[in-house]
Amino acid sequence: MNHTFPPSVIAEIQERAALGRYAIRGLGARRAVPSFDDLLLLTASASRYPLEGYRERCSTTTVLGARNASQPVVLDIPITIAGMSFGALSAAAKDALGRAASEVGTSTTTGDGGMTPEERSSSKTLVYQCLPSRYGFNPDDLRKADAVEIVLGQGAKPGGGGMLLGQKVGPRVAAMRTLPEGIDQRSASRHPDWTGPDDLTIKILELREATDWRIPVYVKVGATRVEHDVKLAIAAGADVVVVDGMQGGTAATQSAFIEHTGIPTLAAVRLASDAIAEVGADVQLIVSGGVRSGADVAKALALGADAVSIGVGALVALGCNDSAYTAESGERVDVTGDYRKLKVLPGDCAHCHTGACPVGIATQDPVLERRLDPDTGAERVANYLRSLAMETTMLARACGKSDVHRLEPEDLVALTVEAAAMARVPLAGTSWIPGVTG
Amino acid sequence: MCGIVGLHLKDPALEPQLGALLSGMLAQVRERGPDSAGVGVYGPGGLAVRKGVGDPVALAEEFGLAGMRGHQAVGHTRMATESAITVEGSHPFSPRPGLCLVHNGSFANHATVRRALEAEGVVFDTDNDSEVAARFVAHRLDRGDDLDKALRLVCDVFDGFYTLLVTTDDEFAVVRDAVACKPAILAETPAWVAMVSEYRALVGLPGFAAARVFEPGPEEVCLWKR
Repeated sequence: MNHTFPPSVIAEIQERAALGRYAIRGLGARRAVPSFDDLLLLTASASRYPLEGYRERCSTTTVLGARNASQPVVLDIPITIAGMSFGALSAAAKDALGRAASEVGTSTTTGDGGMTPEERSSSKTLVYQCLPSRYGFNPDDLRKADAVEIVLGQGAKPGGGGMLLGQKVGPRVAAMRTLPEGIDQRSASRHPDWTGPDDLTIKILELREATDWRIPVYVKVGATRVEHDVKLAIAAGADVVVVDGMQGGTAATQSAFIEHTGIPTLAAVRLASDAIAEVGADVQLIVSGGVRSGADVAKALALGADAVSIGVGALVALGCNDSAYTAESGERVDVTGDYRKLKVLPGDCAHCHTGACPVGIATQDPVLERRLDPDTGAERVANYLRSLAMETTMLARACGKSDVHRLEPEDLVALTVEAAAMARVPLAGTSWIPGVTG
Repeated sequence: MCGIVGLHLKDPALEPQLGALLSGMLAQVRERGPDSAGVGVYGPGGLAVRKGVGDPVALAEEFGLAGMRGHQAVGHTRMATESAITVEGSHPFSPRPGLCLVHNGSFANHATVRRALEAEGVVFDTDNDSEVAARFVAHRLDRGDDLDKALRLVCDVFDGFYTLLVTTDDEFAVVRDAVACKPAILAETPAWVAMVSEYRALVGLPGFAAARVFEPGPEEVCLWKR
């Protein structure tokens, strides 16, 4: 944007004038914000020594929720799959994500729509979300879960509820959510059972009692007033705090939310890890929102995250935004024309909300759904997760770490003054941390 | 990026020669650490630590090392890596009565360990990574661990490359990291135990020809007690 009314803004005004409503779309923020790309790792040289990739150990084991749970979540890699609902995604997509996570030894998460039996059976470690909507939330599924995540908010829409437009409210989704078929649905933005941290304490105790203090309780917040929210989540009894930055994705929400609420993940992770350190509690931090690569993972861990969670990246690995899908015959079928019908191109599609996903991922349409082969999809997501883990350990070893969790803020410098201030690491080539050292 | 020498006497007849023997050893690791040097001598009056900035041989003379007596001594010559060249930043670090720690190598996660210790009330004097290890060991000893346990915990908690010589009033212990690429040579006779960064620092010791000479394995704590 180089002036106040560029063509894109004109087009948005024209759209509002024609429709009389706000714009809705999927995925995360598309504006440029300070991000992990603005940080660099200070790998070893003469003053420190790198570890060899082939023979020297670099552990990735990640333990979450040992504070109160008799069975904490133990993951082989510090990269988890974020909550994405059955409804927003097809059953096959959820199944594929579960299989991929299980194959690489990590967890996946249900979403705002309940737990499907396919997802439970394909996911070795499944986190069950407890959301304001209560869609599909019940004690039976709760007791089948390996962790429960109370969702206070989401980075794409902190303070707002989810949306599922009528074209995705098919018979099965409607039944699981006790909703009428084909009608646009807006989830609640606030939990009906409790408001505020004092009552959240009671809710957490209720969930612990219902699960016999067996599984960890996560609390997820969209990144806004991070320091306060993290401290309150800990005070209320959370074992794990999940902080979702503004780049975090969604299947459908108002674009005003996506682009204009919350703070960047880069700023959120440091605020959250500092808050946890200040409280001094044995609480783990999961960070999400725009994590794409092993470099992102390494930087998030260095800033104090215990694990990251990925959504959009996993969907892209599954086939989201691909120009073609693989038919049962093995043939690649080009679907560029289907993208064009949505007025987008492959590689630039955020039309999850339409339910017309050309590659069969963000849809409930029985014809489109068949375009995603869960076997192929699972293999691709597993490959992606493995690549991220390898990149993370490669960078950690280069910093001399025998465990990815030993990356620390002192391993980082920033490329911009903004990133230096947010991450509280020095501007590259200086010892200046804006706001800390002057 | 440093030189270490240490001598633990088993034969009291050698005690008058302790300072002279260590002085000779220290001169052999002079080039490994031209920035600063320090010694810790366990003599009749207890542990005496002397440190200074500059050439190790000149400093040893300044300390009067050759004339010191005792049952055990450590010496260190420093080539600074990431922290300042100061007297305070020189080794040995002695954060607890009777405790000395000298280090060759560099730690890769000391900032995190430092924060964890600070959260437990530990106060630091310098920005030096070796001080973090010394304070860690002192903290574990304060908590009731023995030296062997404390050094095993060092292996669990610290990343990086290290050979550590750690002494108390009656113990002499060496430990290396899991890769064990920083030098550490141990020699033992019925009269003494010595630890050095370079072989040549051993050869002047009395009876060295009959000594058992060996290297500690990765993460192996080698400990002698009077």
